[in-house]
Amino acid sequence: LLISEYIVAFNGYFTAKARNSFISSALKSSAIDNWRIIPRNNPSSDYPSDFEVIQIKEKQKSGLLTLEDHPNIKRVTPQRKVFRSLKYTEAEPGSPCNETRWSQKWQSSRPLRRASLSLGSGFWHATGRHSSRRLLRAIPRQVAQTLQADVLWQMGYTGTNVRVAVFDTGLSEKHPHFKNVKERTNWTNERTLDDGLGHGTFVAGVIASMRECQGFAPDAELHIFRVFTNNQVSYTSWFLDAFNYAILKKIDVLNLSIGGPDFMDHPFVDKVWELTANNVIMVSAIGNDGPLYGTLNNPADQMDVIGVGGIDFEDNIARFSSRGMTTWELPGGYGRVKPDIVTYGAGVRGSGVKGGCRALSGTSVASPVVAGAVTLLVSTVQKRELVNPASMKQALIASARRLPGVNMFEQGHGKLDLLRAYQILNSYKPQASLSPSYIDLTECPYMWPYCSQPIYYGGMPTIVNVTILNGMGVTGRIVDKPEWQPYLPQHGDNIEVAFSYSSVLWPWSGYLAISISVTKKAASWEGVAQGHVMVTVASPAEVDSNSGAEQTEEEYFPEEVAKLRRDVDNGLSLIVFSDWYNTSVMRKVKFYDENTRQWWMPDTGGANVPALNELLSVWNMAFSDGLYEGDFTLANHDMYYASGCSIAKFPEDGIVITQTFKDQGLEVLKQETVVVENVPILGLYQLPAEGGGRVVLYGDSNCLDDSHRQKDCFWLLDALLQFTSYGVTPPSLSHSGARQRPPSGAGLAAPERMEGNHLHRYSKVLEARLGGPEPRALPACPHLSWAKPQPLNETAPSNLWKHQKLLSIDLDKVVLPNFRSNRPQVRPLSPGESGAWDIPGGIMPGRYNQEVGQTIPVFAFLGAMVVLAFFVVQINKAKSRPKRRKPRVKRPQLVQQVHPPKAPSSWGAPSRAARGQVEPWGLRSPGSKGLKPSAGRVQELRARAARGWGHWRAPKGSLGSDLAGRLAPKTKTTSKGCRGGSGSDQARRAP
Amino acid sequence: MVNLAAMVWRRLLRKRWVLALVFGLSLVYFLTSTFKQEERAVRDRNLLQVQDHDQPIPWKVQFNLGNSSRPSNQCRNSIQGKHLITDELGYVCERRDLLVNGCCNVNAPGTKQHCCDGCLPNGCCSAYEYCVSCCLQPSKQLLLERFLNRAAVAFQNLFMAVEDHFELCLAKCRTSSQSVQHENTYRDPIAKYCYGESPPELFPA
Repeated sequence: LLISEYIVAFNGYFTAKARNSFISSALKSSAIDNWRIIPRNNPSSDYPSDFEVIQIKEKQKSGLLTLEDHPNIKRVTPQRKVFRSLKYTEAEPGSPCNETRWSQKWQSSRPLRRASLSLGSGFWHATGRHSSRRLLRAIPRQVAQTLQADVLWQMGYTGTNVRVAVFDTGLSEKHPHFKNVKERTNWTNERTLDDGLGHGTFVAGVIASMRECQGFAPDAELHIFRVFTNNQVSYTSWFLDAFNYAILKKIDVLNLSIGGPDFMDHPFVDKVWELTANNVIMVSAIGNDGPLYGTLNNPADQMDVIGVGGIDFEDNIARFSSRGMTTWELPGGYGRVKPDIVTYGAGVRGSGVKGGCRALSGTSVASPVVAGAVTLLVSTVQKRELVNPASMKQALIASARRLPGVNMFEQGHGKLDLLRAYQILNSYKPQASLSPSYIDLTECPYMWPYCSQPIYYGGMPTIVNVTILNGMGVTGRIVDKPEWQPYLPQHGDNIEVAFSYSSVLWPWSGYLAISISVTKKAASWEGVAQGHVMVTVASPAEVDSNSGAEQTEEEYFPEEVAKLRRDVDNGLSLIVFSDWYNTSVMRKVKFYDENTRQWWMPDTGGANVPALNELLSVWNMAFSDGLYEGDFTLANHDMYYASGCSIAKFPEDGIVITQTFKDQGLEVLKQETVVVENVPILGLYQLPAEGGGRVVLYGDSNCLDDSHRQKDCFWLLDALLQFTSYGVTPPSLSHSGARQRPPSGAGLAAPERMEGNHLHRYSKVLEARLGGPEPRALPACPHLSWAKPQPLNETAPSNLWKHQKLLSIDLDKVVLPNFRSNRPQVRPLSPGESGAWDIPGGIMPGRYNQEVGQTIPVFAFLGAMVVLAFFVVQINKAKSRPKRRKPRVKRPQLVQQVHPPKAPSSWGAPSRAARGQVEPWGLRSPGSKGLKPSAGRVQELRARAARGWGHWRAPKGSLGSDLAGRLAPKTKTTSKGCRGGSGSDQARRAP
Repeated sequence: MVNLAAMVWRRLLRKRWVLALVFGLSLVYFLTSTFKQEERAVRDRNLLQVQDHDQPIPWKVQFNLGNSSRPSNQCRNSIQGKHLITDELGYVCERRDLLVNGCCNVNAPGTKQHCCDGCLPNGCCSAYEYCVSCCLQPSKQLLLERFLNRAAVAFQNLFMAVEDHFELCLAKCRTSSQSVQHENTYRDPIAKYCYGESPPELFPA
């Protein structure tokens, strides 16, 4: 609110002169003299307007009332703060950028959030939605300079005496970019230390290259660990031995630009913990499986590891960057916020295999950016004993710059800010901190999805898994218990809080899970409640305390089925998006995994149709075991049915839409293409009973799923929600030409559960019994013991949203020399660097820029083939003609045969035969990447069976853990895939 | 220009021997480059399988026998432990009993030297700290020397860099490629830290 500024709105449009006279006449009567009209200099000021902004210096409220009495004045409203913050942004950039520019002078309270973010980042890092308007050509891709590493270089810090390990595909011996390669070791079964892929060279270059495309810490000791073959194969056992060596060599910073979903690999995870416990700062890529949520890779999802996500040079989260929450805690726990920080990962320049530079994208690019920055930071610290995995992570988190409009499960704590991290680290005192440091359930979009979930009395508690980082020692514990201290004036007593936490914080970290619920007395209360949580962390030899603020605002169990049916009878509506389930196809898509030496077979298809049918049977509905695929149009929307089932049975009075599809099941099983007409795919039904709910079935869930989606069907979901909520049937569906009589289900066998499937191994519902799996007893409701609140009769601090601050850190103490106050956007090229900017074509994750050298043999081969073909034709022709008369006559004939469009008959025969083979392939799989269409299909079906509720099993079954099983198609070989290397494509590649 | 191309076509390219030559050269280039790659791959694989056991590996491990007095006031220790920690003299103590100089407080009630708690006869222990402490027993020296002499090449990197008895025990007791089966499960999830020669016994599934 702006004191003394008001907007005066008039009844109509008047000229400036008329407006002035109205106001002055109105104010004259109230004896206010000290006022003025604030001039608005914009193109519209020449035209009549219906409002005026005035400033009244005196504090006379009564004058305002007289203003409103004037016949031509509609209303008077105080000027809003929004205008003020905009002015600030105008004023600030003019101020000189001195050493205080990184410290936070402004105090931001939550309601001012919009303004504070634009302020905080508006100086020289124009982060924001509008930044996409910047010229692409002007963006320096030299990532070290972009992050202002040159400021630290000029202070004399270049990574000296810091041991960095690069776990990757190796590095050539005499690469021109590196001056301090201390050691190269090979841990693979290939007898070479050199990098045949370019991934390891690139990563090492981003960290420590000294020329052309410069890295962060050119003087750091490089230890190259080759743990990946040129075919991108790697095994856990190689890692275990290599990690042991890294511990022995007392590595300070370790970059792992690799990762996989296989976090149930206990030996590997244990070893990662062991590594950080031995003071190795682990930096790892969060994964290239975005934009799907819950795709974080191991080991970047570990609490003690710095997990790095990728952004582009315009500060947008890179599409490929994996996002949280972590799935590591499943099934017993709740996910944490990850990645920890984000940094540039798209189109970054780094070293090529044999020198020179190339641009690469992927989180495996972002990871060495942070690893290089961390290396540089370690070398700036005088008291090296203060640097440990936790303190480094605390410094990076506390200094990160938050990106506007991005939630915390995508950006973590924000974008890496090297110089602020330097300031924080150099005034660091050992302490514990929390990540996230505050919880504001009303803050959107940062706290998404929490901010979209209302909390009310009787609802499920909201759970937040907070990570405790303990910079005081590798091991620590929480003294007594965490305490909940509600602020009474802020209605803090209206919420209840329960805790569960690690008994021992090791290594360097632990969890603090907070369950938030509404007390009974606030059942009908509405508002914002505040309080804070007090945690005391003790490490041997030292004790410290810290506080964080908190604020609020498969199969079915029989009981579940009964409850759902009862609810639908009483008005609950149900929309079911199903998927394929066909036991023959499931058997067909099984595969042998060479790494675990086991057969993997899906336990369900894309959906567990038998279980769904059991649920739906009471309404006389069922899905079939068909498997259909095809494009179609529904209500003027282009749709794609990727691989779904059909509706086998539907009530007579329901609405059923049918389409014409290809039978994908036959295609996979027998390589035959059969077109099936009138496949029922969508059914809408209103229960006849009074107050009964509505049920909608659709046979394919692919269009809702980001990972396989080609054409989305959110419009359909919207339309169906209209139907279920209000009973409005969209005419485009009810009067569609594709509407058919509902199928009765006669003559169709319902899909049966696959004989001998092992779903019960992974299911929370089924358990193995003699005579087949049966549902378990219904589990008891989880019981939370609410913490005893210790109310504080004090007002909550006005600014809950603080840039994560570490205790006892005075940023102003660490002064950065003011090298360049105005940083040029375009940096002059360094010698030897080509002037050509990389075309940002490498935005796709992990796409290497092709080198021309590799294509020469291909051309040679093609050339040879063309000549060979020519000879074949010649010989063929010679054979088909019994006798040549004269060699002279042959020449003109040959010319005739090659050039004229009319080909002689002898030429036609072989070519037609060849075409006959090519055609069906071309027709069948326009989108499939592989040569053989059925192989592509099988891949996709596998991927889809693996996702969601699909489970895979290993018949020999030593890998009987839920998630290892679920993600089985990406076991060992692929699971630790090079991040830049192939990303999500790899996940679908057959191991 | 067109005339020239036509002439070249008629005179030169249509001659069979020219085409044969082009074809032959391309084929030779293609085959040689393919074979060269294959040869290299084959050689790598062979090297991996055939290891010469004749050459003894020059270990630099120094065992300081019978010298149980502290070399200095400072101790190296096992750093990583959650609850326990082992110093270079083989004392195991709780973390809170660790002195500022890195040594275990010998007078603390829980501190034990050369302790083999939870270690099996095959040389595998359930706690890393006890494995290190047990491995530091002077009597284990023969065992370790024997192990060093026949250590697999995969461990050459690691044990070549080890300098003394304590470092050797720290490195030997860690879980390694010998500790796992199917790459992602422990052979024995309980006693997985081994100072002995043999890998952990396969846990009955």
